[in-house]
Amino acid sequence: MKKILGFVIAILFLTSCNSEDSEMLAIDNPEIDLKIPADFPELNAFVSQNKPTQYGVELGEKLFSDKRFSADNTISCSSCHIQENAFTDQKTQAVGIEGRIGLRNTPSIQNLAFMKFYNWDGSKLQLENQPLVPIITHEEMDSSILEVMGKIKNDAVYKDLFRKAFGDENITPERIYKSIAQFEYTLISANSKYDKVKRKEVSFTESELKGYQTFQQKCASCHEGELFTDQSFRNIGFPLNTDTNEAGRARVTGIAADFMSFRVPTLRNIEYTAPYGSFGQFPTLKSVLDYFDNGVLDADNLDPIFKENGKRIPLTEEEKVNLIAFMKTFSDATFTKR
Amino acid sequence: MQNFKKYLLLSLAALAFVSCSDNDDNPAANNVTLEFNNTFKSTTIVLGNAASTSATANTSAAGQVHHFSELKYVISNIRLVKDNGDEVPYNVNDLDKGATVIDQAKTASLSYVLSNVPSATYKQIKFGLGIKAEQNTLDQVRFPNFYALAGANDTAMMWEWGSGYRFTKIEGFYGTDNKTMSIHTGSTVEGTKDVPSSYTQGVNAYRDITLNLTTNAVVGSKAPKIKIQADFDKLLSGKTNTITLSTGTGMNDNATPNIHTAAQMAKFVDNLGGNGSSDITGMFSVTAVEN
Repeated sequence: MKKILGFVIAILFLTSCNSEDSEMLAIDNPEIDLKIPADFPELNAFVSQNKPTQYGVELGEKLFSDKRFSADNTISCSSCHIQENAFTDQKTQAVGIEGRIGLRNTPSIQNLAFMKFYNWDGSKLQLENQPLVPIITHEEMDSSILEVMGKIKNDAVYKDLFRKAFGDENITPERIYKSIAQFEYTLISANSKYDKVKRKEVSFTESELKGYQTFQQKCASCHEGELFTDQSFRNIGFPLNTDTNEAGRARVTGIAADFMSFRVPTLRNIEYTAPYGSFGQFPTLKSVLDYFDNGVLDADNLDPIFKENGKRIPLTEEEKVNLIAFMKTFSDATFTKR
Repeated sequence: MQNFKKYLLLSLAALAFVSCSDNDDNPAANNVTLEFNNTFKSTTIVLGNAASTSATANTSAAGQVHHFSELKYVISNIRLVKDNGDEVPYNVNDLDKGATVIDQAKTASLSYVLSNVPSATYKQIKFGLGIKAEQNTLDQVRFPNFYALAGANDTAMMWEWGSGYRFTKIEGFYGTDNKTMSIHTGSTVEGTKDVPSSYTQGVNAYRDITLNLTTNAVVGSKAPKIKIQADFDKLLSGKTNTITLSTGTGMNDNATPNIHTAAQMAKFVDNLGGNGSSDITGMFSVTAVEN
């Protein structure tokens, strides 16, 4: 009798264990291997605190394209960050709800896991801190995180995804920010012709090769490395945004020397991210190169490279053609799904 | 039944009486009202638009006449210091209960009532102009009331791009031709809560203010009122900086918000809230304590 009782208890125990286990198994949410490309910069330290998972990314991607993030349900993150343009919008300055014009040009979203700074002025150091900004900004979505949570809280698909990604159905601001960041961490562009040439799968054309050589000589000191940015902030004498809210990097640091300095932009997928400049000053790559060739605006804090070289980057017309040909090898059709 | 009702009434009355007399004798706590008077020197500011004839005009040390159309600032992290030196914090970790927006256009906002302050004799008040970095995150879930107060359309005390609150918002006009002045201050520090070393960039515009009371505030049977003057003459003519306003989009132009960002903002912050070392009062002073 005792034996039987013991057996029954043991079975009961096992059963309850099993059911817990199966519940755990039901939320199998594997980490995603980011497949870090060769020679890319090291990961932003915050990535390790929010490693992308299968359902975290799926949730983030769904949130990224949810128009309920805006006050009038007309725009989502993906309204401005359009994948085929490397997540930019081809507009000079971002356009929010009711056609409101933002301060700056929509930045591309690619290889963010490897960036130390976010936004034109580097105002954010951690990607998880960024999603709130467009949600609440008047010229963007003009909403609030509680408003957004209220709109999506009864959505069964979200309940399921939050449970799969984070273990239960609770929708919290942190989970929203984390999942969007996880999705963005997975957006890695490293399959352009440039990459294939590096991997010795294909070769540059003669024009691309000449462009590459000019690039090394005249551009690569700032547009360095595999992301073509040294992640520094510089005033390179571009035409100024006269909006009184604009001060470039100085808006963040309060340092006079940072006035109207902007981060050196990545050149990956540059063919698709026109117009160029912090508020879309330049419609084409040619117009950027012409501007460098003709001479930039002077400023007390103009970058030394320009100060010491007559405030210009002299370029022949042939060099410009070749440079553009080379820069177009950064286009990644896999990434942009073109 | 009638009797029962009578007894009930009687006992209720007795209870009320007991609790009343208890309060009168020696309550454990009482209210303290902070009454803010925003001035140019000793004159209370009257707001007005560009052409206003009723607005209070002030002339800076550099000779620039100016007046305000809008005047707001955030007070948080309030602490009262007992005569024995003990500090009594007032909801310092709860923006909903311990922080407020002083808005010159809203009379009610000029009196901030601290409730349930422990009975004691207080000699000093400390508070923050602005919000400490670790709380300055626009956390709507934790502090929905303060978020709503600061974010209201007629308040606009948010810096969306910096994910923080504006600490001071002054709109007005200067010069004989009434050029626009728009002075906004706020922190741009970026880091991770509870990890001080992670705050690697940005300006901390929070200023901790310490004011001696003119006479001790005695909290107990009475609910004292502390009258605090905020002298906005200091904005341009401060203890730390004498500022000349200039309009434009250059690095040194400071009358419009492109500067709240640059080194220029810190000058306004130091004038209003002190520099945190040699000046811990900024524009503030206690003018009276009513016990």
